[in-house]
Amino acid sequence: MAFAITISVLLGIIVLALWRFLSAGTGLVLLAKELRSFFFSPVAWVVLTLVMLLNGFSFTAALADLREGERSVTLTAYTFNSIQFWLAYFFIFPVITMRLFAEEQKLGTIETLLTAPVTTIQLLLAKYLAAISFYIILWVPSLLNFFIFQMNSIDDHSSIGSLTGSYTIIFLVGMFNIAIGCLASSLTKNQLVAAMICFTFCLLHFLLGFVLQNLPVPDAFREIVTHFSTQIHVRTFIDGLIDTRQIIYYISSAVLLLSITYHVLEFRKWKV
Amino acid sequence: MIRVSNLTKRYVGRTAVDAISFNVEPGEIVGFLGPNGAGKTTTIRILTGYMPATSGTAVVAGHDIFRDSLKAQQRIGYMPENVPLYDDMRVKEYLRFRALLKGMRGREAKNGIAEAIDLCGLTEMRSKMIGALSKGYRQRVGLADALIHNPDLLILDEPTNGLDPNQIRRVRKLIQQLGLSHTILISTHILSEVEMTCDRVIILDRGKVRAADTPENLIKNLRTAGHISVEVNAAADMAADAIRTIPRVKKVIKESTEGTWTKFTVRAESGADIRESIVALANANHWPLREIHTQGASLEDVFVELTQSPHPD
Repeated sequence: MAFAITISVLLGIIVLALWRFLSAGTGLVLLAKELRSFFFSPVAWVVLTLVMLLNGFSFTAALADLREGERSVTLTAYTFNSIQFWLAYFFIFPVITMRLFAEEQKLGTIETLLTAPVTTIQLLLAKYLAAISFYIILWVPSLLNFFIFQMNSIDDHSSIGSLTGSYTIIFLVGMFNIAIGCLASSLTKNQLVAAMICFTFCLLHFLLGFVLQNLPVPDAFREIVTHFSTQIHVRTFIDGLIDTRQIIYYISSAVLLLSITYHVLEFRKWKV
Repeated sequence: MIRVSNLTKRYVGRTAVDAISFNVEPGEIVGFLGPNGAGKTTTIRILTGYMPATSGTAVVAGHDIFRDSLKAQQRIGYMPENVPLYDDMRVKEYLRFRALLKGMRGREAKNGIAEAIDLCGLTEMRSKMIGALSKGYRQRVGLADALIHNPDLLILDEPTNGLDPNQIRRVRKLIQQLGLSHTILISTHILSEVEMTCDRVIILDRGKVRAADTPENLIKNLRTAGHISVEVNAAADMAADAIRTIPRVKKVIKESTEGTWTKFTVRAESGADIRESIVALANANHWPLREIHTQGASLEDVFVELTQSPHPD
């Protein structure tokens, strides 16, 4: 019951925000501009290529190992729970998000943006949705890996549940981490500083859940930690179990971080 | 067009704008003048809705800028200081983005962009990257952006800052041309610019309005106060001391000596005409007097007079 209420409240907030964002069309103009600045700069293509390369490597390595003999893990789990995957994973967010607000503040274009008939919330959502869109595009090649594999295999290895779960959790963790990046970028004019803040806190959140698992801490504490341990969430979702608690956790954290970003931007606007 | 009353902006430990009030009527070109740090940019940022004031009200084109900022912003074309632009966009692309952002669509946007490009002389540059443009052209892109949606009010913060004399002349001409169909508020510290383009001047210093009048009136008022050149045949020090005894004389400066003739510049308080007193003094002391005249004051004198007055110089 409590879950149902939380979910509907969250959905309500999201739908309301999106409606306001899209209503005047200004949001879409901003979104198009943001996507344009992703794809008309080398950054997007470099990141896209490198992530594709790393995912390809991860996938091939998993296949090679599975070919050696019987293993107790599935291909999906192997791909998404390997060290090389997590090594690359946390570099994505700073690269995607560092320029969002820092660049506007450095160039001074935040002034031309906010003195046009644009609300801060429209600007924030445009930037966030653009980053999310790019993040989604980033995972398309890796999803294709699985499809191509499926098409070429003799038996039906399809594990739709596991795949859906994996990409759902990747999307959710991405929502959360991109929100951290947005906040980091709004705090400074310097893109490098924004990138470092984003990287540190994304990784810290991950490690906190990861490291504390294996330390001799009280059981009650360990149980709390499991609630925000991305590592554990990933394992659950890869098994094909879509846990609404985690969905709520990541979405509400993202909303919280974005609302802090909103207030940071408003504060900037008031102070300078 | 603009109604500002008791506008105050306080930063931590500093009052940037101190309870200023002024109006700008439709169709006017108003110069916003003041030394660096006088509060011009702060006032402009408040007027454009970039930041709120600590207290006071500002109404732009009939909309309160705090309560109804989106509506007011739709009527304002604003070019910030140093013209921030995206270097990785082409001129036309940027103007298109700005036109859409300001709510123009379809044919309206297309015509608006074409007109702005034409008016600002950007036709040859329209497909160039903004990052590759010279400062003068960047300024024009900023101006094109400000007027693309045909706003009632143009607010230009230091529009000729950093341009060479030819470019300044061109921008100035453009502003005069725009003044025929728009209300314009220009902030600047270049005085000749104001003298040439503005109907009215608001002089701001340390957050306060020092004067608001036409350039001609400001100069006229100063001229009667004025600087007076006097050339007498008398011992310099004695003559200077004697002139200083005339009521309302503020300052006597020895300019040059030529034989026994000495030339002084005398500054009096504003509103005081002391020429007769000087002539009378010369007669009483039997000093031959061969020249006395008021120096032609310029807006620069007004500016210096108003913005330096509390400091004895």
